[in-house]
Amino acid sequence: MLSLVLTVIAALFFTGIVIRTKSLASGRKGPGIMQPIKDVIRLFKKGAVYSETSSFIFQIAPTIYLASIVMAMLVVPFGQTKGLLSFSCDFIFFAYVLALGKFFSIISAMDTGSSFEGMGASREALYSMFAEPAFFILMGSFALLTGYTSFQEIFAALHIGSYISYALAGLATFVLIMVAMIENSRMPIDDPKTHLELTMVHEVMILDNSGFDLGLILTGGYLKFAIYGTLIFNLFIGIIDYQYAIPLFFIVQFLMAVIVGLIESFSARFRMNHNAQFIVALTSVSLLIFFGALLMLGKFN
Amino acid sequence: MIHVILIVFIITLFYLSIANRMLTYVKVLALQGVLLFFVAFLQLSEINTLNLIFILLETIVFKAIAVPLFLGYLLKRNNITREAEPFLPNFVSLIITTAIVVATILLSNSILDSHLDKMFFVVALSTLFTGLYFIASRRKIITHVMGYMVIENGVFVLSMAVGNEMPMMVNLGVMLDIFASVLILGIFLNKIGDVFKDVDVDQLTNLKDY
Amino acid sequence: MIGIYLIGSFSIAISLFFSKNKNLTVGLLGLFLVLQWILTIYGINNIRSNDFGYFTYDSLAILLLIVISIIAVPAMFHSHIYLNDQPAPPATRSIYYGAIVMLITAISAGYLANHIAVIWIFTEITTLSASALIYHHRNKLALEGTWKYVFICAISITFVFIGILFLSLSLEHAGSDDLTFANLVANSDKLNPFWLKLAFLFIFTGFTAKLGLVPMFTAGVDAKDKAPAPVGALLSSVLMNLGFVGVFRFYVVIANTPLHHWANLVIGIAAVLSIFVSTVYMIKLKNIKRMFAYSSIEHMGIVMLGIAAGGIGYYAAILHIILHAFVKSSMFFQFTQLYRVYQDKSIYHVGNYFKYNTAGAMVLLLGFISATAMPPSGLFVSEFLIFRSLFEAHQIFVLIVVLLLLTMIIWAFGKNIFKILFIPPVDFDDSRVPKISPWESLSQFALLALAVYLGLNPPAEFVNLIKESIMLLPN
Repeated sequence: MLSLVLTVIAALFFTGIVIRTKSLASGRKGPGIMQPIKDVIRLFKKGAVYSETSSFIFQIAPTIYLASIVMAMLVVPFGQTKGLLSFSCDFIFFAYVLALGKFFSIISAMDTGSSFEGMGASREALYSMFAEPAFFILMGSFALLTGYTSFQEIFAALHIGSYISYALAGLATFVLIMVAMIENSRMPIDDPKTHLELTMVHEVMILDNSGFDLGLILTGGYLKFAIYGTLIFNLFIGIIDYQYAIPLFFIVQFLMAVIVGLIESFSARFRMNHNAQFIVALTSVSLLIFFGALLMLGKFN
Repeated sequence: MIHVILIVFIITLFYLSIANRMLTYVKVLALQGVLLFFVAFLQLSEINTLNLIFILLETIVFKAIAVPLFLGYLLKRNNITREAEPFLPNFVSLIITTAIVVATILLSNSILDSHLDKMFFVVALSTLFTGLYFIASRRKIITHVMGYMVIENGVFVLSMAVGNEMPMMVNLGVMLDIFASVLILGIFLNKIGDVFKDVDVDQLTNLKDY
Repeated sequence: MIGIYLIGSFSIAISLFFSKNKNLTVGLLGLFLVLQWILTIYGINNIRSNDFGYFTYDSLAILLLIVISIIAVPAMFHSHIYLNDQPAPPATRSIYYGAIVMLITAISAGYLANHIAVIWIFTEITTLSASALIYHHRNKLALEGTWKYVFICAISITFVFIGILFLSLSLEHAGSDDLTFANLVANSDKLNPFWLKLAFLFIFTGFTAKLGLVPMFTAGVDAKDKAPAPVGALLSSVLMNLGFVGVFRFYVVIANTPLHHWANLVIGIAAVLSIFVSTVYMIKLKNIKRMFAYSSIEHMGIVMLGIAAGGIGYYAAILHIILHAFVKSSMFFQFTQLYRVYQDKSIYHVGNYFKYNTAGAMVLLLGFISATAMPPSGLFVSEFLIFRSLFEAHQIFVLIVVLLLLTMIIWAFGKNIFKILFIPPVDFDDSRVPKISPWESLSQFALLALAVYLGLNPPAEFVNLIKESIMLLPN
């Protein structure tokens, strides 16, 4: 329950901080931190327009998207407390329920009949396909290392001791952050601020959604970002007490948002065909983490 | 700690296989030199100090500073274009490099000798084969030289593994490094850039069996 | 003595770099030849003794030292004629002479080395001096040949170094530190087999660049093509012998371990592949020097087959490399005269050699008979013995394949040689052909005769020396 509440609170502010950081970095004052939420509320009051060429998929997809994200949020733990749901191998559930939401958004994008959206959908599918082995090998290594298969138990049992585990934790953080960037369609994989359809990946998929549906999708996006932040935070939280953990959580989320904003302000997106290479490189790095985990277990060398 | 540095070394290999620009190759070589400096410093604790200082100087000055600077100078002087043109797309290179590392790890598992730290063996062999693959898969002549530098780094890592018992080996390796690199780079600087205006490897096919 | 030799030769080489006076150059070269022969005679008198701990005058080294001392004399002589005929700036000339002295020095010292790192260092020095020689003509093709040679040899040297590292790893088990061959043989049962396997693979692959086998033979072929012909003679005779020495000394170590059979397999595969490759190329080649180069590769393949087969093959292999050195160098020396007549290397533009240089054509004809191992050439004896050893080792299939390939090589080689000797070339203007004195071919006749003599009626000491050098091998 605790993780649910904390993630929702973080989601309220996260994207706002990112946008604010980007504005400040480019010398403007920028919108307020609550602006994304106000945008969503405004959208909720509007009606949706549906094209005649689309079918019922287009109408139900945003709802399923948000629902899948909320379900995923339920299994994310917070330190020692479990999420609302916790069972063995729930990280597989996590990954695939998010994939379900992504699948529906992809087919709804193709449902509109627009070629731009189809292009964005295919790119999105490709990148998610490559990021999946990275995530699974990473979580699998952790499961191997700790002997548990549930999110909460893995993170509770993970402790950082020797040099090797520092290295592994560092690498794992890097991989998780990059997977988070990929899943949320941020830099350096995808530029959320580009307005040229040919360079969009995720934005172009939601080009035709409007009104309430767009509000749902945006909410889902904010929540997903906060969920990954919680996941990354959990790597290091271990056994710290609650009174320190909760403020630390907000500080870490804040820092992550600022860093994301800074990265987006100062770097360009990769070339399209380099994106795929980069994501496969993440899989190679997570393979290294796997072998490192085997090394630590002594099953090796 | 040494293991961590060696893991970072392998990650530089991955980066090398997906890098696109010539300058990136040079920077990765410099980074590898710095990493080797730290490995040498931490590993060779049992040889006498003078020898150690010589080896450390060689890694920092030669591998990390002199050779990258020289290569950068060559790139500018011969007007070599920014892009590295491989025969195979970078994607395939990355997969092959990953396969090399995995194969080396599996090979090292079959060693029964407990004397050697397996990490050195794995890193050295993967660097060696990645360097060879690098030479074979790139179109420009200067990338052959860079691939050779990568192979040299791999040999250095391997000599670290026996360095404590036989410091002579590390010295010989350093000598080989300096000698062969100076020879190759010297020829390259003086002649190849001037004579072969187009630095494509296809230019080197005039010596045929006709 | 080896110290005096090394210091003397290096100072002669450096003086040759700086000498501008022709008489001084000739004098220095003569001095070097005297020094070389002094070393050889000293070695013969002090056989089986150590020098500086790193050099040993063992029987194999003495044999090969005599070979290089004999070949060095016509090499200098023909280089002199060659440089007189082809105009070259004096600086290039000095570099040529200095480099050739260094090459011969490094090869001789490499023969004598008994520590694997020392032989490695001298092989490195041969790469350096040979590349200076290949680049003699300073044109684009020579540059390409030099670059390929340097690069492939650099990679091979690195491979040998990695092999040495693995060797020291396998020696750690035995608790020893000394990488001399004598120590390795003495501890051969205590060496860790896994590391030894890896060491053998890497060292063998590295030395094939000098030896001229698959996989690294490509450097040598381009080198012999582009280098001036006297240098090509040295590269294809005595330098290949240096590669052989490197492989052989390590093979002696590994032959006394349980890995003997595996090592034979590796060498056998490389040898058969080399013969196959040289057959393929010889059939379609038109460049005379490349043809000679590929023929050298084929001979080295046969030699290594003898080593892999064992038994009488060991004796025959060493006999073969000695005789082959004489025969191949004489053919390369003859090529200098051929080039003076025709100014071209391709078979299409060469022909009817008997008309222009009868003595030289005789040399080519006799050289062809010797190189393809027809009687009365000494190579016939050694090849026959190698085939016999293959038969005795029950490798009938390999023997049949090799005989077939050799037949094709004899056909291709013969086709080209007879074209050179008898059929007039198209569009050849023979008004400006220089007159070549038959006395210049004397050295080559002498070398060929030596090959015949040593093959058919070898003196007893010669046979004893060969038997002694294979003493440490099992069976």
